[in-house]
Amino acid sequence: MFLKALLIGIISIIAMLDSRMLGRSNLERPLIVSTLVAIVLGDVTKGLMVGASLELISMGLVNVGAAVATDMVLGSIIATSFAILSNTNAQTALTVAIPIAVFGQLLGIVVRMAMSTLSHMAEADINKGKFNRALSYHVVWGNVFYSLMYFVPTFLAIYFGTGVVDRIVKVIPTWLTNGLTLSSKILPAFGFALLMSTMLNKKNSVYLFLGFFITAYANLSVTAIAIFAVILALIVNEFLPKTGKSDKPVVSAAEANVSSSTESNDGGDDDDDDDLEEL
Amino acid sequence: MADSIKSMTPAQKKDLRKKSWSFLWRSWAIQASWNYERQMNMGFLWGIAPTLNKLYSKPEDLEKKKAAYQRHMAFYNCTPQTSSFVLGLAASMEEQYAKDPSSIDPESINAVKSSLMGPLSGVGDSFFQGTIRILAFSLGINLARQGSILGPILAMIISIIPSFAVTYWGGQFGYTAGKKYLKVLTGGGLMSRVMYLVNIVGLMVIGAMIASMIGITTPIKMGAAFNLQKTLDSIFPQMIPLAFTFLMYWMLRKKINTGWILLFCIGGGILLSVLGIFK
Repeated sequence: MFLKALLIGIISIIAMLDSRMLGRSNLERPLIVSTLVAIVLGDVTKGLMVGASLELISMGLVNVGAAVATDMVLGSIIATSFAILSNTNAQTALTVAIPIAVFGQLLGIVVRMAMSTLSHMAEADINKGKFNRALSYHVVWGNVFYSLMYFVPTFLAIYFGTGVVDRIVKVIPTWLTNGLTLSSKILPAFGFALLMSTMLNKKNSVYLFLGFFITAYANLSVTAIAIFAVILALIVNEFLPKTGKSDKPVVSAAEANVSSSTESNDGGDDDDDDDLEEL
Repeated sequence: MADSIKSMTPAQKKDLRKKSWSFLWRSWAIQASWNYERQMNMGFLWGIAPTLNKLYSKPEDLEKKKAAYQRHMAFYNCTPQTSSFVLGLAASMEEQYAKDPSSIDPESINAVKSSLMGPLSGVGDSFFQGTIRILAFSLGINLARQGSILGPILAMIISIIPSFAVTYWGGQFGYTAGKKYLKVLTGGGLMSRVMYLVNIVGLMVIGAMIASMIGITTPIKMGAAFNLQKTLDSIFPQMIPLAFTFLMYWMLRKKINTGWILLFCIGGGILLSVLGIFK
């Protein structure tokens, strides 16, 4: 059982690395990982059946943006193993795998938070001039932590049976799960704020609010906003003075950045006004 | 664009091929350290690092290299396959900036990145996770149900070919288009104008992401008569995500250590959830 648990653990790492290293080229999908598990456990036909069922169930579940869906990849690997090892059908195996998928989701939140810390360590190393070390947080440690996130629960579940994992899940208090979920929603707000701090100033903040309110009221997607934004930019382009008359830039992005880091930047703003008045 | 590739010397072609492969692998590997705060920031840095290392290899360029590395630690999120286009374009912008620092504002590189990532994610996710995946796996499931191992194999082949093609040619196209058009842009002083317009798109997309990707709500209620979330929604929807983003932005402007802000995001999230203020 140790060897089987180890091999299936390695399959779980392959599934995880599909998203990490291969641009999510669908190697992680239930149909594929179930087949791989079935090859290891020696019952390919059963694996194909279970994989097809799981694939159908999870077809609609994809991670989009910052939200982490219940981890069907982890669920599928363990469900297929149990379906073959205990000779049950896909649905029964899936009910066994659901608590593990939920556990995987929670683990996913913790790992993705821990990765934020790596980001800060990388910045500190860049400042010290240790460039390769800064990059290693991504390509070495990122992969290691993510791989462990799948390997540990998979190995434990196969080696000890799902009972153990089920008990661990029950020990985690709901207040912690809920708290971490809220934290995982606040963190992107920090990411956006960091992005804004290099781009935003008093003048161009209207565009941020425009994008925000259209989406807030009309529920339009980011792509829709991007299309409208391009159209708006083309309209604004019509109203900006023609370039080439003077050597002076029309509206400098550099000024926009200076004024975002220092409270007042009247010089830059005045320049903009002059240019716009030329109209 | 095709003309400019045809007119290249064999050595240049070889170099471009090498670069395109690098864009491909490093775009696929962009999610290795996916985190909540800045999502694929280290992934993008990993992608552009070879370009930066080449440009700033001399010891006297150390400070420039640090600044360039820090620049690409900003928030980034894009479908890996379509991201290679952004990576190629950013690489050509970095080369232009290193050649002639006065021709291009370094922060505009980030503005280009953030205005492209939204629309390219929208297109990329719906193409790869929507169309291609559904097509590949509905065929795969059918074959697998008949007990054929061709099911998963076919699903993988259909998945990987478009993924490979878009990532490889996308990176190459971004790089060569950047080389060609940046020359035109920087020649006529058009750059700052374009950057201003690109900033409009970038900021509107960030606004849309604040309204759609954070999703913090409040569970506070007083009987049936008072529901705080409904009251806030009647003023304007998504008010809490906007407030959180600007709280973070304000803390950054006040030069509060990012480590503390990070701690606030995680600790504060758990606390606010336990107190029942937000969820």
